[in-house]
Amino acid sequence: MRILLFPTIEFAVFFVVVLPLSWALMPRPHAWKPVMLFISYAFYAAADWRFCLLLGAITGANQVAARGIVRVGGGESTAGRRICAAAVAADLALLGVFKYYGFFIDEINGSLIQVGLGLPLPLASLALPIGISFFTFQAISYVVDVKRGLLAPAPLLDVGLYLSFFPHLVAGPIVRAREFLPQLEQPRDPAKVAVGAGVMLIAIGLVKKVAIADVLAREVVDPVFAVPEAYASADVLLALYAYTAQIYCDFSGYTDMAIGLALLLGIVFPQNFDRPYRARSLGEYWRRWHMTLSRFLRDFVYIPFGGNRGGRLRVMRNLIITMTLGGLWHGAAWGFVLWGLLHGVYLAVEAQLKGRAPGFPVWARWVITYHFIAFAFILFRAPDLELARSIVVQLTQSGPATLWTPLPVLLTLLVVGTMLLPPRPLDALRARVEAAPAPVLAGSLAVTILFVAATIPSQGVPPFIYFAF
Amino acid sequence: MATVDPTRSDPRMRGTARQAIVLVLLTALVLLVCAGDSVRNAGEELEDGPVKTMVLAVGEPAGWIADTLPFAAIADGVTGWVSSEDDLGSAGGGFGAPAPAPAGTGGETGAGAARVAPEAFGGTREPLRSLLVTGDSMAQPLDAVLARRTADAEVRTRRDAKVGTGISKTDIVDWGKLAGEQVAQQPADAVIVFLGANEGFPMPVGGKDVECCSPAWAAEYATRTRAVIEAYRRGGAKRVYWLTLPAPRDAERAKITRVVNSAIRVAAAGFGAPVQVVEAAELFTPGFRYADALDVAGRERLVRDPDGIHLNERGAELLADRLLERLGRDFVLEG
Repeated sequence: MRILLFPTIEFAVFFVVVLPLSWALMPRPHAWKPVMLFISYAFYAAADWRFCLLLGAITGANQVAARGIVRVGGGESTAGRRICAAAVAADLALLGVFKYYGFFIDEINGSLIQVGLGLPLPLASLALPIGISFFTFQAISYVVDVKRGLLAPAPLLDVGLYLSFFPHLVAGPIVRAREFLPQLEQPRDPAKVAVGAGVMLIAIGLVKKVAIADVLAREVVDPVFAVPEAYASADVLLALYAYTAQIYCDFSGYTDMAIGLALLLGIVFPQNFDRPYRARSLGEYWRRWHMTLSRFLRDFVYIPFGGNRGGRLRVMRNLIITMTLGGLWHGAAWGFVLWGLLHGVYLAVEAQLKGRAPGFPVWARWVITYHFIAFAFILFRAPDLELARSIVVQLTQSGPATLWTPLPVLLTLLVVGTMLLPPRPLDALRARVEAAPAPVLAGSLAVTILFVAATIPSQGVPPFIYFAF
Repeated sequence: MATVDPTRSDPRMRGTARQAIVLVLLTALVLLVCAGDSVRNAGEELEDGPVKTMVLAVGEPAGWIADTLPFAAIADGVTGWVSSEDDLGSAGGGFGAPAPAPAGTGGETGAGAARVAPEAFGGTREPLRSLLVTGDSMAQPLDAVLARRTADAEVRTRRDAKVGTGISKTDIVDWGKLAGEQVAQQPADAVIVFLGANEGFPMPVGGKDVECCSPAWAAEYATRTRAVIEAYRRGGAKRVYWLTLPAPRDAERAKITRVVNSAIRVAAAGFGAPVQVVEAAELFTPGFRYADALDVAGRERLVRDPDGIHLNERGAELLADRLLERLGRDFVLEG
């Protein structure tokens, strides 16, 4: 199981074997593809081999659907649309069963009992296959892109590799079929590999996850969200700010490592984060935060619902529906639903106010946006609504600040503050580091790993937050 | 079809595959020389299988190199200042330490485990001032629920879950050592232990490793558990509540859990009232049959996590009810 976590020795050993093997086989795609497919499935089997059957079934079903769409005359034909709809419905049904079955049955049953009825369905807590939310969405993107004529059905082997490719398998980024599949058509060029960028991303990702996110979680966020009653407003406020830094470093740290590992294998993934806390509006935030999910929701939910077409109310409705579904995507809990709903309502209001206050200071826009994001995260982070309520109550309680020690405060300031700096000098510095000779990069990466490893507590690296989604 | 290979236009594609491989191997070499022992330790902690074989194939020679050359010690010295906690592994003290008093049920167990006569523990019904809730991942979210529920009772509740650890694996956290340190740092009137999700590792007995789940393994597990209990008692805990584990969904894991529960019951027997086994196994899985849901106040509710091992928030609430009832019997809960 630990092999699924990038910052572990098990994964490091795995990758040291896989990288040379991949490049050795690269000139022969007929060997490279099945071997990489096998490696990716073996990687996934470390969590539970039965999950591989599910992944294989999703691959097969969507491939049949994609070929079927073309065979009946393409996505414009009635039969093509029906096949696409059936495939998407099946994907979502599968996701629904594994992710939401227990939650919905529990809630529906509770409501029925209140009116004197009971539900005959068994209540079960199904094992959630890791990464199901990500590979299901990728499967949908494949079928829909084929239906829209943006992509031709690929060979089964390619589709299998697209959905299972180990760097993005468990927590994204959500790579679109038309971004990934063309890279499989020709062998990757061994003379064109983003070595510096890959190594840099892996090092940055490690630092973000282990030396920042996990430290903030241990020092501030987890204690406050476990027992809010033990902390007064100053500590709760620090926990909210620290959580914005923690979740960003946790998720973007994973993404950085995934993109970096893929780059070393010669594959390019799309960017997933772009200094999100720099945003001066919530709309801008969603163009910078979990960008691959945002564009999926835009292309596959918001636009099909009507997007910006129709009247003002219709646009507001579309935004609220899209964001509520986006919230639900994160997990089976009312907190996620309400978090998405809150974002949807804010986006809807923001869309209506756009351009109406041109003189409103930029810094004030930033303050409002950042604080909305931080406070909305209460619903996201709290395990239930009762605890979310306790957090809000404690925000009004006076008392000593016990958690304001230099380390979490500085780490939080560092993460949020870095995003506010002008990007160009930082990007230039990064480009210079990326261009360093291989021995320098190797030494830097090794030293980074040694220091980062020293901060890992005895129980090891906690899973990435988005593994649970 | 508007498909584009993004690598064609990516300006970052400045290196070669050879450079990537050399760089990764160079990094690995530096790490093996400076931290090879960590690779070996990680490999030894893994469950048997191809991953363990692969990690140990690298880890054994790497560990030897790290032991032989001075670089690992230098790296430890240089990076030690960022370390987040003291060494709680088995090196020095813990289960591997020689016992100062004649051993009870044998094996290697020590933990400074001077055998304390159960009769020495008297009854008590004093106010509960401090509570330690500890264990592995099983202790979460129970620890948080208990901390919240005791917040109004003027109880100082300390949560100290060591995720991924176990009685039968001592390389990272040796519970024989940890238990004493926990109560030495911050004495507790009562200790609640919920531990056992990561068991089944071979344990040394009489110079040989015994495999799970033989009678010798169970006896050694019970001996170690007893040593942990004694460490808490010596540290001043008036009550120790040790929870049995609900049956997990996975059948292989259930075999280990069943033996662990038996060992817990054996270990606690003989201490009398100060050490109580709380039957979480019976509460959540009557007859040791796995169940996701339970009848709670006349309504079927999910009480287990989707992983089929841990309790969810509602399950933890239910268990907290049971524990608070016990605590209320043994202590005065104010507020």
